[in-house]
Amino acid sequence: MTRHLKHPKPIIAGQLDAGAPTRSGQKRRWRRYLRMAVSTSMALAAALVLAFGPRGVVKAPPHTTVVEYWEKWNGTEGHQMAEIVNDFNRTVGRRDHIFVRYISTSSIDQKTLTAIAAGVPPDIAGLWNETLSQFAALGCLKRLGAMAKSYGITAASYLPVYWRGCHYHGHLYALVSTPAAVALLYNKAIFQADAARLRAAGLNPNRPPRTLKELDRYAHALTIVSPGGQILQAGFVPMTSWYLGDLWMWFGGHVWNAQTHKFTLTSPAVVRSFQWIRKYSQWLGPQAINSFQSGEGNFDSPENPFLAGQEVMEMQGPWMANYIYNFAPHMSTLRWPKSAELKLPLSQRYQNYSWAFAPFPSAVPGLKDVSYCSFDCLCIPRGAKHPRSAFAFIAYVNQQPVMEKLCALHGKNSPLAQVSRNFLLHNKNPYIGVFEKLAASPNARSFPPVPIGPQLKAELGITAERVGLLKDTPRHALAMAQARLQRLYDAFHAMQLRRQAITGAGRGYNP
Amino acid sequence: MPRMSRHTINFLKGMAFLSPWLVGVLVFTTIPIGLSLYYSFCNYPLVQPPVFVGWHNYHYMIHDRVFWISLNNTLLYALMSLPMGMVIALALALLLNANIRGLSLYRTIIFLPSLIPLVASAMLWLWMYNSKLGLINITLRSLGIAHPPPWLTSTHWAMPALVLMSFWSLGNTVVIYLAGLQDVPRELYEAADLDGANLPRKIWHVTLPSISPVIFFNLIMGIIGSLQTFTQPFIMTQGGPIRSTYLYTMYLYDNAFTFLRMGYASALAWVQLLLVLALTALAFWTSRYWVHYQGR
Repeated sequence: MTRHLKHPKPIIAGQLDAGAPTRSGQKRRWRRYLRMAVSTSMALAAALVLAFGPRGVVKAPPHTTVVEYWEKWNGTEGHQMAEIVNDFNRTVGRRDHIFVRYISTSSIDQKTLTAIAAGVPPDIAGLWNETLSQFAALGCLKRLGAMAKSYGITAASYLPVYWRGCHYHGHLYALVSTPAAVALLYNKAIFQADAARLRAAGLNPNRPPRTLKELDRYAHALTIVSPGGQILQAGFVPMTSWYLGDLWMWFGGHVWNAQTHKFTLTSPAVVRSFQWIRKYSQWLGPQAINSFQSGEGNFDSPENPFLAGQEVMEMQGPWMANYIYNFAPHMSTLRWPKSAELKLPLSQRYQNYSWAFAPFPSAVPGLKDVSYCSFDCLCIPRGAKHPRSAFAFIAYVNQQPVMEKLCALHGKNSPLAQVSRNFLLHNKNPYIGVFEKLAASPNARSFPPVPIGPQLKAELGITAERVGLLKDTPRHALAMAQARLQRLYDAFHAMQLRRQAITGAGRGYNP
Repeated sequence: MPRMSRHTINFLKGMAFLSPWLVGVLVFTTIPIGLSLYYSFCNYPLVQPPVFVGWHNYHYMIHDRVFWISLNNTLLYALMSLPMGMVIALALALLLNANIRGLSLYRTIIFLPSLIPLVASAMLWLWMYNSKLGLINITLRSLGIAHPPPWLTSTHWAMPALVLMSFWSLGNTVVIYLAGLQDVPRELYEAADLDGANLPRKIWHVTLPSISPVIFFNLIMGIIGSLQTFTQPFIMTQGGPIRSTYLYTMYLYDNAFTFLRMGYASALAWVQLLLVLALTALAFWTSRYWVHYQGR
């Protein structure tokens, strides 16, 4: 059926505007005005932000060498490093016409690497010690030995563990920006609250464990498990540790033999360390550990398991003092406010804290003050435009007062051989001395100088997980990891030699 | 100088307008694809020149335990998330196609999560899956389940947790289904009504055949998407525990940018491409039996 529409009434031009304005016409006009007003104000706001808003890049003064510095830190730690950069720009930088531009970036190692590959690297890159050997082996970094010497920075300036860690095959490739050491963090308040249980187990609630066997007994006494098998309070759980894959250090083990170029993951000491992890899982049960781990809050939040009182003992670095103060200030101000406490002698200052640090006990009798000493480092990538100016900044950071300022701000120990009394006595972290002692110990350990460091770290972590969740025996899991790593290393080593022969590249590789 | 014909001038003008796109495709797509094929036959640590190693990377892959683990995880993820995701999206689209009050609001609610950046939603789900403080386990506990799963730390539950999370951002798929549903001719439903068909029969005999091209499109996109999943496991589990959520793209990424084995990563990428091609070809081959195009 065809529908016949009525012919619409013709509209005469200008008819709508003629005569008195209609209601709908007024409405339309208002809407137009409103639209104009909104878009004008938005455009104005955008123009104002563009003109006077914050600048992403700080403008360098004229006639200065601009040093691009990429660093991993953002947030508070980033601001603190930026403060050091500003100090440099105001003093040494102004004198020597150098301007350091600090750029905070995530995934620093990957971004630095792609920038090096593209031929546009930064002048300074803030890397981690664990990737240093990989970068150095592939010839990504400049050797800094000669420049360091010219600034008077030698082995004597540094604590041996950090100085060693900055080297690869006898060459210096980095200097430390901030270091760390790993210690035992324990909750003094819970030790006191559970004193009866500790005493019943023949343990002293007024001090931390001193041997690994003692740590196990403390952990047993302090752990509370619900009738349903849920961990309500964990004395100590290796599986939750950031250093799960590094525990062999406290057993006197080694995972790499630099002389023979062989991994030694199946050596007795390393196997024992993984058996120790397994022992805890057999005691608590993998399900309960899974549940406990899954219920942990964010590290940098008040739900952090240590701050929430869920974990009584942990392996931690010195930075934890800052986190505790920021997210649970009541744990660090028991008797006095912070400003008043800093003026007191150390013996009194300890009373202000419901937590403390102590050396993490070793499994080997007589092996004292064992610690894993990791660090953030400053390197000059291959192809950097201003290596001399970049090193001027690195050397500035390595001056004792500057280093102490940065480390105090970050809550970390100093990598330098000389430490001022002020740094030790009036540090925001009253236990900084524990970390200084650990870092200076002959048993302080750094990450093995393996050119396939990231693979080693990944395999150790996964092996520890396999063992910790009782999916495999330590010996078998370690044998599997060792076979895989050795195969990867042998292939890498052979390829680097072949590449050297063919292209002459890879001069940084020094087998 | 000979005069150019009008045809040639038009061709050159056309090419000039096309040139930004052509240059873009050449520089950012064609050349990198070609280079990645070459690198897949090289040892290439990115910061040193590549060295030709023939089929070594592909040969290594066959004996690489982690390659098989990641491939197995990825196929498992695809197998779990794709069919379930398609069924849920279709069910939601059918509900949203009904003539009910507040329809636009429901449609907005369903579509909204797909607008949230993947990283932000991954952070949100991290909290949702927290076994003590997370919304999911709190709800499960209130329903009487005393020991809800430790979602992201258990080798058994981590993968299902990721699959479950993938359903949250089905908004795009739902919208595509919805568009397909609104194109189904009303006469077919009227005819089905006259034949006395009930709702399930109408869906099975009218709706599904009519929207089969849309289902097919979503299947192809789903295969490609699920085999490329990266962000959520990368942020939420880092492939753990014990590589139980270590997906293929994560292994590829680690090889390229963490382990500096760009040659091996390129080989992995080509194998992934072949896998996607094979599965897509399989889907196309089966489509002749179940996809019905109007007018054919």
